[in-house]
Amino acid sequence: MNRLINVLVAAEDPTVSHHWLYPEIGEIIYGGLAAVIVIGGLVKFAGPMVVKSFRGRTERIQKELDDAANAKVAADADAKGIRAALGDIASERSRILADADTQAAAVLSEGRARIAAEVADLEAKADSDLAAARGRNTDELRAEIAMLAARATPIVVQRTLNEQTKAELVESFIQSVGASR
Amino acid sequence: MSNVKVEAYARALFEIAQAEGSLDRVEDELFRVARAFESNDQLRATLTDATIPGDRRQQVIEQLLGGKANAATVQLVSMLVTSGQVRELPAIIDALVKRAAGEKQQEIAEVRSAIALSADQQQRLAAALTKVTGKPVNLKVVVDESVLGGLVAVVGDEVIDDTVRTRLEQLKTRI
Repeated sequence: MNRLINVLVAAEDPTVSHHWLYPEIGEIIYGGLAAVIVIGGLVKFAGPMVVKSFRGRTERIQKELDDAANAKVAADADAKGIRAALGDIASERSRILADADTQAAAVLSEGRARIAAEVADLEAKADSDLAAARGRNTDELRAEIAMLAARATPIVVQRTLNEQTKAELVESFIQSVGASR
Repeated sequence: MSNVKVEAYARALFEIAQAEGSLDRVEDELFRVARAFESNDQLRATLTDATIPGDRRQQVIEQLLGGKANAATVQLVSMLVTSGQVRELPAIIDALVKRAAGEKQQEIAEVRSAIALSADQQQRLAAALTKVTGKPVNLKVVVDESVLGGLVAVVGDEVIDDTVRTRLEQLKTRI
């Protein structure tokens, strides 16, 4: 019994000296057995849990790796899309700018042509108005001169028509009628 | 007044003048009276004014023609005035002149001049117009200062116009 107790408690004899580094044999044996039992218990009872834990962790890590890979793929796709979109935006920007330049050039050209046409029309109208005004003024002046001449001529003629001239006109008439046939 | 009435008066005046034996002179004087009546507004207004008594108008005629015209001329004009036919005086006298010319196989040549024509000028003018128309003409000269100078002769439908007035009108038109 005592031995059993000794074995169980592995009590040492305090009087026996030991090496300062190496354990006692019994201690190695019992300690080893206890270690085996503990390890066996651990392997039996905790091992599956550890394995499961490690497997879950591995799966989780793998999943995370897969997710990361998928995310990377998606990110690459997004990046590609963004780059493509950026390219599209750049080309669209270039196209819009080119269209704007074309439209601006067309508007400018059309505006210049329209302004040139309007200027030409205005010049032609101004020339026409000037010519009409000149013609009107000339006509009015001519009419005025004609009116004055028409008024003045009888007066001048009457003043210059003396009796001798009138008699000469009568003689001229008689002679011309007599000579007509 | 109708043409029939004008012709009737013209025939009566013609026969009276012919009976008086002074048709040529009376006809010529009546022609001048008619032209004066046409051209003188005051004379026409006086003779046609119904408010003026007939005696007074007859006195006007006698004052104008007395001593200058043949007595038959004065009487014939007075007759037209007193009978109320003075408005038709030019038409009646023109018909009379035409009748007289027809009797003599002549064409009336009405000549307007700014100055009076001498007898020689009238004779030469009548000869020239006779030559032109081919008919002897009865020349009737009217002194009309509005022609300014030269002469205008109307023979039937033919008009020979060489007056200063017409030339001025043509000049005015050209201007």
